[in-house]
Amino acid sequence: MQRERTINRVLSAFFTVLSLAWVYPMFMILMNSLKDESSIGTSTAFELVGPQNAAGLANYVSALSKQGFASAFAYSLVITVTSVALILVCCSMCAWYVVRVNSRLCKGLYYLFVFSMVVPFQMLMFTLSNVADSMGLNTPFNICFIYLGFGAGLAVFMFAGFVKTIPLEIEEAATIDGCNPVQTFFHVVLPIMKPTYISVGILETMWVWNDYLLPYLVLDSTKYKTIPILIQYFRGGYGHVELGPMMACIMMVIVPIVVVYLVCQRYIISGVVSGAVKG
Amino acid sequence: MAQIVLKNIKKVYPNERGRRGLFGRRREEERKSNLEVTSEGVVAVQDFDLTVGDGEFVVLVGPSGCGKSTTLRMIAGLEDISSGDLLIDGRRVNDVAPKDRDIAMVFQSYALYPNMTVYENMAFTLKLKKVDPAEIDRKVRDAAETLGITPYLDRKPKALSGGQRQRVAIGRAIVRDPKVFLMDEPLSNLDAKLRNQMRAELIKLRHKVSGTFIYVTHDQTEAMTLGDRIVIMKDGYVQQIGTPQEVFNHPANLFVAGFIGMPQMNFFDAHLVHVGNEYHLETSDHDIALAPQTCNRLSESWVDGTSKVVAGVRPEQISLAREDDPDAISGTVEVSELMGSTVHVHVTVEGSELVLVIPTVDFEREGGSFADGERISFKFDQNAIHLFDKESGKNLVRS
Repeated sequence: MQRERTINRVLSAFFTVLSLAWVYPMFMILMNSLKDESSIGTSTAFELVGPQNAAGLANYVSALSKQGFASAFAYSLVITVTSVALILVCCSMCAWYVVRVNSRLCKGLYYLFVFSMVVPFQMLMFTLSNVADSMGLNTPFNICFIYLGFGAGLAVFMFAGFVKTIPLEIEEAATIDGCNPVQTFFHVVLPIMKPTYISVGILETMWVWNDYLLPYLVLDSTKYKTIPILIQYFRGGYGHVELGPMMACIMMVIVPIVVVYLVCQRYIISGVVSGAVKG
Repeated sequence: MAQIVLKNIKKVYPNERGRRGLFGRRREEERKSNLEVTSEGVVAVQDFDLTVGDGEFVVLVGPSGCGKSTTLRMIAGLEDISSGDLLIDGRRVNDVAPKDRDIAMVFQSYALYPNMTVYENMAFTLKLKKVDPAEIDRKVRDAAETLGITPYLDRKPKALSGGQRQRVAIGRAIVRDPKVFLMDEPLSNLDAKLRNQMRAELIKLRHKVSGTFIYVTHDQTEAMTLGDRIVIMKDGYVQQIGTPQEVFNHPANLFVAGFIGMPQMNFFDAHLVHVGNEYHLETSDHDIALAPQTCNRLSESWVDGTSKVVAGVRPEQISLAREDDPDAISGTVEVSELMGSTVHVHVTVEGSELVLVIPTVDFEREGGSFADGERISFKFDQNAIHLFDKESGKNLVRS
């Protein structure tokens, strides 16, 4: 008992320090986004906001008025929403099929999906950007198919893990009640999988929203900029960087993802299936 | 209501021999059970012939792995039928989808939809059939009333107890007003007390709801109390089909005799000897003359030569006797278990163990107690003896 308490204390202290270390950079970005640009230098970057260097919301105004901010935000939003929606719908159906049919082909397909998780993006990025160009996938509306491919590994893996825990009898009951497979999926399986949808949704949203390399390589960056690409454009010529507006921009793009996380995490509840069958 | 005919139904799971999983693991199923393995595969059910009459309640019973659930799932359409014909009201339904067979099924694990309320669970099938909402409401409320679950209509399944959930599952079946109710061990997940209560309610329900019932259980008490007829299965084969009375009083073979009855029938090896017009059972220490009726049947059916038999006597048909009674057999008490109204006494006689069920009143009247190691005398009626062929296990005197 005593020993357990000590361990708990040590762990609490350790994780507190760790989380502070993670929060600190974000806190500094917030501080710097409120500072006057001349006070963001190598020596002054870590100072807190005070009367001597406060710039109010000037950096935010400047970031918002930056050319292309609104369109970049819109492109990021479109890409994220369509990609995540596509990943959720296609991968959950695929995982359900793979688990329930369980033929040799399905098993092979499943291992292929899992294998795709361990292939690093850097290994195939150049061939991919060529393929994307030749297939016309280099627009913000088509890039979601590339995201579907990259996101499928993790999503199918997570969905398949969950589908295995759904008792088969529930689906058999639906069959007897008169559902065809599509109805069984949408009326019975999908509602049961809600917690997994949310977990996968959060992970994929964070990844797609923050992704820099894929859109940078695939999209025609003169026409389409996403938020992470736009942030690069705060670097002017001759090595000049508009640090204040850049920090403000970073703060603004963090907000949606934090909101998504906070809203969704309430719904991640375990034991949604409890009560369906004995146990 | 409907008549169901199963003609020579067979179920074979295709052979997995030689097919190995990714890591060279063999499928487990083949080794686990006593099911027959042919070149086609593992035979789960074979030679299944049964006609279930309109409105009849038939119980399939047997130990696990005997093929009873497989048979039920074939009737439901959840498993393909390998060969044979399944007819519901004269229509061959082998290849008809489950939803078009006009059946309802209750599962052992309830299988309620966790995301829907009780009301929605029950209304779901009717909604899919696009029944008028007012009609759905009436049917659901009627069924809920019958089953006493009206107060829980707005709850989700997780907020219900096991018994209530099973009622909802039954409710889901009865709102459809199906021709056939299929029940796959619906009471197995309930605790003993609730099971008894639900069993009684099922009997009542059966009179309220018109429909043909096929019920699967491994519990012989349920089979005996619920069924109009019982189908006893083992290793994929039907062992006997008959009314509860028939299978209890005239078991077709050793397996049925041992399976039906609690505690199970006592068996002992003996030699059957033909002396004049009489038949005797001989064991190493005893010589038991058989009843004239039994002798008559034996003279018709029994072929001399196979004298090795297994004799069976139900524990309830053995009573205590005085030591000086000429028919008395004596044995040593191993254990006695007081069950309340009866005492189960385990006795060893000539190396084999017998169980006697003695009503507590008799036991008190005798004024004795059954101490371990005590010698007691008992006897049984000649008519109580069942005779089975030692080799084939078949009942030798079954009419």
